[in-house]
Amino acid sequence: MERISEYLQKDACLMDLKATTKEEAIRELSGHMARVGLVNDEQLFIHDLLEREKLGSTGIGHKVAIPHAPTQSVDGFVIGFARSSAGVDFASMDGDEVNLIFAMGTNPQALSLYLQLLSQLSKLLRNETFRNDLIHATKTPADVINLFKKFEKEG
Amino acid sequence: MPIKNIMVAVAGGAASIITAKYAIYLARVMSSKLTAVYVVNERLLQDLMRSRVVVDIEAKVYEKDLEEQGKLFLERIKKAAETKKIEFESMVLRGMVHEEIIKKAQETSTCLLVMGNPKEITSRKEVFSDEGELLFREAKCPVVIVKNPEEVEKLYKEIT
Repeated sequence: MERISEYLQKDACLMDLKATTKEEAIRELSGHMARVGLVNDEQLFIHDLLEREKLGSTGIGHKVAIPHAPTQSVDGFVIGFARSSAGVDFASMDGDEVNLIFAMGTNPQALSLYLQLLSQLSKLLRNETFRNDLIHATKTPADVINLFKKFEKEG
Repeated sequence: MPIKNIMVAVAGGAASIITAKYAIYLARVMSSKLTAVYVVNERLLQDLMRSRVVVDIEAKVYEKDLEEQGKLFLERIKKAAETKKIEFESMVLRGMVHEEIIKKAQETSTCLLVMGNPKEITSRKEVFSDEGELLFREAKCPVVIVKNPEEVEKLYKEIT
């Protein structure tokens, strides 16, 4: 079984997102992912994520958003994480602002892996304790990865 | 008792090529027919739609893309099987991966199922949810888990 902790890198975690709108948040996190070398073509990645948002918001409720898209702007599968203390208006289903954002992209060749990891992530994020710990109990990117490992192990 | 029918389960990717090569090797040395199967994981897409991560129109595109990738991958295995002169067929299935493979293996009187090495299990829950693990545990016929890629490549090259 594939695990998020095997793919989420410390330098892909942005612990203090400044953006307050969906588009700004996607741009800020995508820019960060490009700077750390995960995204080859930042503008294309942003474009593909925003195009996906047009089908419906990836703000899935409970303060979580998972903007995602197959894209030629990355090699293989990539994931980045951003936490916002102030909250982001993501047009979420429950109307709440979002504090946890995971951006995921895949080269079409890694589609199967991407779908498995998207599923894994959404399952983990159904756990309220996990979400609360991500928001309140993690200070560093290493804390985020360790939290994933802990909850993946607990199942 | 001769092993007439071998089935290989593939998911795409480099590891599946190694798995397929070992299955081709076995089919050749045992003069068996080889059936390669790829399953479009419909259950996964349904779960993603239920959790609202993926919308309907998006899931349909993914489903089509996965099917196309499966066909291309099976075509690649077919070409390899042809060069090693073995009887071969392939099929793309849809549904829950382990269930579909087990069902098809029974329908085709498969004597031996060849599959890749499942990932290390780190939680009890994974034992009951990992498709590779479930396939290995619930298959009704003997199962071969392919390991040691270097050795597989060597064996594969030995057969002409």
